[in-house]
Amino acid sequence: MKRLIILSLLTMLVLSASGQKYMTKTGFISFFSHTPMEDIKGDNNQVASVIDISTGEMVFQVLIKSFHFEKTLLEEHFNENYMESDKFPKASFKGKITNLSVIDLKKNGSYEVQVEGDLTIRDVVKKISVKGILEVVTGGINANAKFVIAPEDFNIEIPSVVRENIAKTVEVTVAMKYSPV
Amino acid sequence: MKKNLKIALITIALIVLAGAAAGFYMYNLKPKDLGKVKPDFVVTASELQSSFEENETAAAVKYVNKIVEVSGEVGSVQPGENNSVNISLKTNSSFSSVICTLPSGAVSGNIKEGSQISIRGECSGYLMDVLLNNCVVAGGPDKP
Repeated sequence: MKRLIILSLLTMLVLSASGQKYMTKTGFISFFSHTPMEDIKGDNNQVASVIDISTGEMVFQVLIKSFHFEKTLLEEHFNENYMESDKFPKASFKGKITNLSVIDLKKNGSYEVQVEGDLTIRDVVKKISVKGILEVVTGGINANAKFVIAPEDFNIEIPSVVRENIAKTVEVTVAMKYSPV
Repeated sequence: MKKNLKIALITIALIVLAGAAAGFYMYNLKPKDLGKVKPDFVVTASELQSSFEENETAAAVKYVNKIVEVSGEVGSVQPGENNSVNISLKTNSSFSSVICTLPSGAVSGNIKEGSQISIRGECSGYLMDVLLNNCVVAGGPDKP
């Protein structure tokens, strides 16, 4: 049901006649967990996202299975034990730029934006507020952000044997290159 | 008696060592090179995309986590982060393609929009497009 809502939101954003929409299907999101025991990094180069620059609305969607790790074993544990990606194959974010007025689309340049919205991981919805950089470039828009989330907030249980290896909070990096729809 | 004890200790030490070595090996295992793996399915990009569009659940059961070799016409070649390359293959749908991510940037310059190629990758599922990861080029302009 939730998937249907997200899909229709994406479609609505893409199809609705008003406004200027930008899209990418190959955005980048990675997360990084640092502890003295181990650094763990997962990269996803297949992020689908639409941004409507006239309203500031943004939608992001990823497949959990598209996150890749240097070591196969970590990827298996990530999918099977922590994210349960067969049960919860997708994660999404739906939100809005709250200070849209700072952006001048006619002028190339970087603008600091504030984004608020719902992050959904493992069907758990959490409100987040993130600072990011939106860059107007010739022929598109780039968006970059870094923020921190806690696995605990999304009911991810980390067994005590590996608790020292996985950070209480993981850093999420977002790098998107949008083209006009 | 002493000799038996010695043998037992050596045996235990060897077992522990073998276990540790196996553990270390498993822990450091890198993703397989799909260039050397036989695909579970060989399909065209259009076939793969339409099976997900028609019934995502059934297609996911069939293809996700499997090695799929997809053939089709290149729609775009784009650099991704960390030296990765994204190649999209056109399908019968104008809105949805098959997106293949190749982990390191070694993609021949002969592969460009319009090239006929086949790509082997691990199917992750379906968002707006069918997504393949850990891909290698299995056939194309340089590999007839």
